[in-house]
Amino acid sequence: MTLLKYKKLLFIILTIGLVSCSSPWDDKEDNGDANLNETLNEAISNTPETAEFGKLLAQTGYDKILAASKTYTVFVPTNEAVKAVSTTILNNPEALKKFVENHIALTSYSSVRNNNEERIQMLNAKYLTFKGSTTIGDATIVTADHYAANGVFHVVNKALAPKLNIWEYVTSQAGTSAMSNYLLSLKEFSIYDADAIAKSTAAPGFLADSLSNSFLKNVYNLNNEKNSYTLFLMENDGFDAEVTKMIPYLNKPSADLTAIYSKYFTVRDMVFPKAYTKEALPAKLTSRFGVEFDVDKTQIVGEPIVLSNGIVYIMKKVDVKLEKRLVTTKIEGEKNIAYYGVRSRMLYRDKKGPISLLYPDGLYNDLMVELPALPQFTLFYHANDMFSTKYKIYWRAINDRTANLFEQQLAIGGTVNQTATGFPLVNITKTFPMVIVPLNNYEEVEIGEFTYTTAGSSGLISLIGGTKSTSALTLDYLKFVPVVP
Amino acid sequence: MTTTIRTRKSTKAMLWVSVLLLSLGSCEQYLDVDPQDKVAEEQMYRNVYDADAAVIGIYGKFMGLAKKYVILNEMRADLMTTTNNSDPYLKELSEQNVSAENPYVSPKDFYLVIQNCNDALKNFDIMVAQKKFTQSQYEQRYADVACIRSWIYLQLGIQYGTVPYITEPLANIEDVKNINKFPRLSFNELLDELVTFTEGLTYKKIYDSGSSLLVTVDGYNTEKFFINKECLLGDLQLWKGNYLQAATHYKNVMETGTPRNDVDMYRIKYAEVVTNNDLAVGYLRYYEQDATTLVDNNTQGWRSIFGRDRDVLWNTEWIWSLPFDSDFAPKNPFIEIFSKTGGKYLAKPSKRAIDLWQSNTQSNGFPYDARGQKFTYKMVGGEPVIMKYIYKYEAAANTFKTDGDWFLYRAAKLHLRYAEAANRDNQHKIADALLNFGIQEAYTPAGYNNSTGDATDIKQTKLPFPYDFDARQGDFPSFRAIWHRGGGIRGRARLQRAEIVGDPLISIENNIINEAALELAYEGNRWEDLVRISLRRNDPAFLADKVYEKLSKEGNANAAEIRSKLMNVNNWYLPFTW
Repeated sequence: MTLLKYKKLLFIILTIGLVSCSSPWDDKEDNGDANLNETLNEAISNTPETAEFGKLLAQTGYDKILAASKTYTVFVPTNEAVKAVSTTILNNPEALKKFVENHIALTSYSSVRNNNEERIQMLNAKYLTFKGSTTIGDATIVTADHYAANGVFHVVNKALAPKLNIWEYVTSQAGTSAMSNYLLSLKEFSIYDADAIAKSTAAPGFLADSLSNSFLKNVYNLNNEKNSYTLFLMENDGFDAEVTKMIPYLNKPSADLTAIYSKYFTVRDMVFPKAYTKEALPAKLTSRFGVEFDVDKTQIVGEPIVLSNGIVYIMKKVDVKLEKRLVTTKIEGEKNIAYYGVRSRMLYRDKKGPISLLYPDGLYNDLMVELPALPQFTLFYHANDMFSTKYKIYWRAINDRTANLFEQQLAIGGTVNQTATGFPLVNITKTFPMVIVPLNNYEEVEIGEFTYTTAGSSGLISLIGGTKSTSALTLDYLKFVPVVP
Repeated sequence: MTTTIRTRKSTKAMLWVSVLLLSLGSCEQYLDVDPQDKVAEEQMYRNVYDADAAVIGIYGKFMGLAKKYVILNEMRADLMTTTNNSDPYLKELSEQNVSAENPYVSPKDFYLVIQNCNDALKNFDIMVAQKKFTQSQYEQRYADVACIRSWIYLQLGIQYGTVPYITEPLANIEDVKNINKFPRLSFNELLDELVTFTEGLTYKKIYDSGSSLLVTVDGYNTEKFFINKECLLGDLQLWKGNYLQAATHYKNVMETGTPRNDVDMYRIKYAEVVTNNDLAVGYLRYYEQDATTLVDNNTQGWRSIFGRDRDVLWNTEWIWSLPFDSDFAPKNPFIEIFSKTGGKYLAKPSKRAIDLWQSNTQSNGFPYDARGQKFTYKMVGGEPVIMKYIYKYEAAANTFKTDGDWFLYRAAKLHLRYAEAANRDNQHKIADALLNFGIQEAYTPAGYNNSTGDATDIKQTKLPFPYDFDARQGDFPSFRAIWHRGGGIRGRARLQRAEIVGDPLISIENNIINEAALELAYEGNRWEDLVRISLRRNDPAFLADKVYEKLSKEGNANAAEIRSKLMNVNNWYLPFTW
């Protein structure tokens, strides 16, 4: 009886206890800001002017992602803007997913930031430029900084349909644009030997695209979303005209190869590592290969095509002067690829000569063999990208050592006989006369002329010492200057 | 079984009383336990080993000043500048515009160590009065701690101009700021006090060879831990303008190896061209024209001054150096400042410093001073990184192995300071010789044949101490005099001569300070060098122009304004606040 009495009492006390206590956990969470009780997904769906986009989120499964505990920024198009989106996107689940991803970025970017303008990466790996609190990509922000439990969203006046990047654009032009066709064909064809190796060993991953195409590997990786580029895409007639100009100078064993290389040496100068808007286009541009041309804005067809990683200009033609196209090849003395002799006799020098217009600080690095200790000490060099034309050859060879006789000659072509016991070079194509390098001449000296009948590899270029074991060698650089008719 | 307790009021009361009594009495002793990990005051200063512990403790505290010392003396001067990573406080130092909250400028850290010194000195006095250690043990330890204190005060004077000179332990460190209790001395008055006090010390050598302080601690020999008192005295006298006394003190150190006929000790030895086992800028023999054969490693050549272990050769260059070891506090602060890979890269060489090295020409014709671009700094990812302090760290190739050193005094600095004093004492030829290619080269007559000549009467200064140098080397008759290996600072660096242009006094002094920049960059000497020479010449432009050049070369729009600010000597000194 007493036990029962206590039981009742206990029950009453417990009940009172349970009812009267508020949950401290809930108290803690409730900070009086209703916005923070909603996830981004709920906030977007519950806001009347953005409810349409909320539906797209649900359709693509992004409602669940935006309800997660990571922090996001969403650029939400208004209902009117969503209605304006083309049905090809809306009806294709894959395209729709990409479309939605292009509105969402990881971490929260409010309109108050350290940098007024920054490129932010969206979930589909493309970048959009976020300027202050006014624009994102090509959309204008209507109202900024709506916040929710896991991030912020900004309402924008226009849907941000994902743009192609330059390489995707080029791919889309296949079939109609000869230049695009050519660029795409370099996935199969390897311009340099190293390209084939890169293609065969390219591991899947973020570098794969830059290795799988000779153009992307050797010029610029137009597939890279992180950087911006400008590409001049010539229309077929203009492209053909430019290629035709190059044909005589890129003579190869077969006409097909000649055509491929003529095209390569035309297109490689058409890309620049910066997105130039039409207003900002400079009057002259110089490609990374040293080819300069005048930018003729009158040749631009239509409006520039703004893409996710830069701008493409469709050009009627880009007229590059032949003498600019045929660039000089300079080979540094200290960049020898091999030698005949003893390594320890080769002196890689850091020097300073007289200051002149050509050498503003007078500093140079050269390679000197002061005490060769064997006759015909030889330094070997090589260059790619020679044109099939006549070259004038110069060197800058500096003899600042009074005690030695610097006697050297240049030879082009030939092969190294690995089994030879003495001087190993055989089958030389052309040997230039022996030159005695005068004391303290810091100027370029003309050595002679050489005509390449085939474009491409320079063959072995050899600097051969005199026949005495004391015949010293010296070379700052060699210059091969094409003779333009 | 039943137990009955008979309770009466009186028994109950008795019980309570006894409980109370017990509880009161028992607490007293139980709670009064001596801590196991702290030393009580009466346990300190009982014998010579306690005194040793106090000395080592002070050096431990002293090492905490390393970062401040280097930053204040280099960032404010012309050779070091800020990077993109530098905090605004470093920029303030670089641009001579220091705000009150700048943590680098607080003098408190200096006074905390001074407080430790004062406390130890007072207790040493008590100990010797109570005969707890011998008079000789007392004098050595007293002098050591006293010299550390003088060294810190000299730094305070250089950085703050007017400071309170406190030699008694304080109850409250904040009293330092109380101008009524401790009036501030001008830099000149402070120097007078320091010279008088430090010259008055009875013991001026390093510790006796039998001293309990000369041991191997954690793998480090302690001899070079301790301040070299004669170097400090030389510096104090040099600041004061007593050039003969300064030269005397420096020369005493330069002759450290003489009693045991050590021809390498502190003499800036010439290059060992065959083995490259030296401290000189060197190339492989016969391939001096090949830049790729530059001797560039931690065990040979000039770079090894900073990278090598504390071995025999190290001992011939270093006079005072404190090691930072990753296994012990304090932590090496320099990796954070300088390293780009393991630190924050807060400081880098200025354009002016880089140009300075590049304006020199080596004896092999290379258009630079390899001590700059090859050793003191290297290009890492297109940016110059100061390497002197991080060679050991890089060699360990382990983020957590943060070993390094605080570089405080070495033979090159000693020779340059001696040359500065000698030059002012009208010994231009000696100063120029030590700066360039050494005594032997300077005192060998033209046309003398080194292999057949008689060296009896040449290759020596024939002057009384402290200007006596005998660098004779000859075979007929045979001479290998004590200074015959001295190769001079620029000789060791494989550079062409620094020419004397115009007035030898001024020109040689300029050359010496210039050379100190090339040789000792970032070792914490630059600002004080500039201040010392500017004050001596009464020419603020000497300092102001150099800082101006650093700032203008990096495109600082306020460079001219800062220059005119520095034309007023009072603006050189930091605000004395914390």
